Amino acid sequence: MRPPIAPIAPRPSIYGIDPSFVKKRVSELPGMTSVTLRELFPDLPPVIYPGDEGIVAVRRRTEEALKSVDMSRIKPEHTVNICSSHHGFTLLGGEPYAEMLRTIRDVIEERTGCRNIRLRAGVGLRFRETEEYIRRHKLDEYFHGKARGVAPVDEGIAIETEIGTLYGIKRIYDADWIVHAHNSDVREVHFHRMVDRAVKPFGMSYARIETRSTYHQNLGPRAANFIARSIFDSPFVQDKFAFSCFLTVVPHGILGVDADNDLYALNERVTEVGCRYYGKMMTLFGEIDECVAALDFPCPVVYVFSAGVIYANFAGANTDLFDLDSPLPAYTWYTEAFYGRKGYPLLPEIPKLNKAIRMCVHSYAWTGYPSAFFSEHIPTVVVGQEQAELFNRDPQNLNYMKHAVVSESTESAMEFARKMTGTEKILIFDGAPGGINLSPPLRDFLLAKAPEIDRRVEQELLPKWLKQRGVAAQRATA
Amino acid sequence: MKLVTLMPVVEPEKCKGCKTCVRVCPVLAIGMEDKLAVVNLDRCRGCADCEQRCPEFAITMAKRPEPVEAKVDLEGLDYEKIAQLCRKAKFHPEQIVCYCTATRADEVAGAIMLGAKTPDDISYMTGIRTGCKVECIQPILRLLEAAGIEPKPVPGGWQWYGRTPTAWDIPEHVKQKYASRGFYFEEDIELLDRVVNAPLQGKE
Repeated sequence: MRPPIAPIAPRPSIYGIDPSFVKKRVSELPGMTSVTLRELFPDLPPVIYPGDEGIVAVRRRTEEALKSVDMSRIKPEHTVNICSSHHGFTLLGGEPYAEMLRTIRDVIEERTGCRNIRLRAGVGLRFRETEEYIRRHKLDEYFHGKARGVAPVDEGIAIETEIGTLYGIKRIYDADWIVHAHNSDVREVHFHRMVDRAVKPFGMSYARIETRSTYHQNLGPRAANFIARSIFDSPFVQDKFAFSCFLTVVPHGILGVDADNDLYALNERVTEVGCRYYGKMMTLFGEIDECVAALDFPCPVVYVFSAGVIYANFAGANTDLFDLDSPLPAYTWYTEAFYGRKGYPLLPEIPKLNKAIRMCVHSYAWTGYPSAFFSEHIPTVVVGQEQAELFNRDPQNLNYMKHAVVSESTESAMEFARKMTGTEKILIFDGAPGGINLSPPLRDFLLAKAPEIDRRVEQELLPKWLKQRGVAAQRATA
Repeated sequence: MKLVTLMPVVEPEKCKGCKTCVRVCPVLAIGMEDKLAVVNLDRCRGCADCEQRCPEFAITMAKRPEPVEAKVDLEGLDYEKIAQLCRKAKFHPEQIVCYCTATRADEVAGAIMLGAKTPDDISYMTGIRTGCKVECIQPILRLLEAAGIEPKPVPGGWQWYGRTPTAWDIPEHVKQKYASRGFYFEEDIELLDRVVNAPLQGKE
């Protein structure tokens, strides 16, 4: 039996418990095993990271990708903001993204003579998260004291768009040029629905609260990401936009680096990669008939991931998240909003959360994202009083523990879950690179289902998903 | 409704008087005295925005000795008028408009009927926008607008800047231009309209 893959280690953060409280990883429990993603889907392409070359591969591929980018408008006397987001730092420990950012900086300086190059790092709902990553990866030193975390409550700037006034974070745009440095990991498919995925930070981590609230409250579940496009297309942003550089991410690692002066051309490429490879993983996870989901990763509840699929998307895997004919996933904020006072959806067709998740064992996950909807609708066991107390102190999660119970240890929580649910299928969301940590019955189940999922996605679902987005199939690679 | 369990504690020796906390506080609970931040704990709703943005790390959050409930009781208010106001703003009255506090549109409308005129009034009365502080400013502004109230942002403040477009405001030519790119404007409007007009479920 294949041993479990070493999961991403707990990380010190103000949003999580001290790593010393994480006594046992779920994958360390007796009987756990792993399956690699290439065992499930043999056609997954080779990745550059993790790999034999190590982090050097990211620098090399970034330099290669940037060769085709026109930087001629950047002059030595100009200022450049390399705009980044928290999400990249959660991938494979964060070093690939950090190295891409360092390389972009070095290449700009080398090719243009410009030295006033700043790093701006946007966040989700944890306003100090990128400050922590900047320290962890020593980016402030690398950027000569010019690396800074920015938050959506910071001073704003009005941006006139073709649908009206929206608002960005002033410090994102306070340079002559901006460089959009992101990644193609799909993450919140329930929100962006893989429509303009590459553009999203302009409506989110680079945006003020007014804009982000527009996204999540004003437009609707399939029109929301238009906010990002309208900001990016505005004359204000277009006048400053220099180029984009992305880590191309697949569920089993870093496929390569892609860079372009044309963000929409890059967007088409990452849309296909995302739909094809993440689409297979999500569709496969949607086949799971019953399981215990174990959360064990240094990220908020919704973002812990397994095989590139975040828990929020597994909670909605009973619907096809990529199919735009389906208006509402089982979890998105619009869906959550549409639960009435008696606790059931306001419209009968609104899907409920994935019933295959018989219980959730919250062994290790962070605060900093409103997560009570999950504990309210999925039986949840939280490991350790310290973790329960942390959630009780989080202004975003004051109701989370109202619906969850506390267990003393990971071992007792998993034992309780097994007994209560009667299932031996265990899926661990611990970010195991290149594979999935899980129980043997679930491994056998997934291996048996994967070939048919592969066929269905390639022949039926992917053509439909791409057509819905106006993207031509190219079988793109990095 | 929000049960306020936390309160900020300012360390005077660290505070440099930069006013960042004053500018971000969603309930206008922080002022300056002798160039130091001072928190009005009666008004504070424990959102930790000040703690999260203080560049000097001069603010920490502590447990309140006694929790405070921020809630607008809808008992005694004309619920039909509340529902009308919500639907005029294109919300179902029971729709959740703050994902952190689970505040529903009808509670915000109730606060407006009780005299709230600004987003900070509404946050103070209901607790809305004191969790993540990010996602719920537009419902507040839409409900105020539906009530005929046009609040002005706090001069020099970063609390909020303005109401932004909704699905119903998207120009026809924009919808047509992007119809083949995966933006389902009309279909989403149809969905949102059905939610707005769905029956009430009633009390918990």
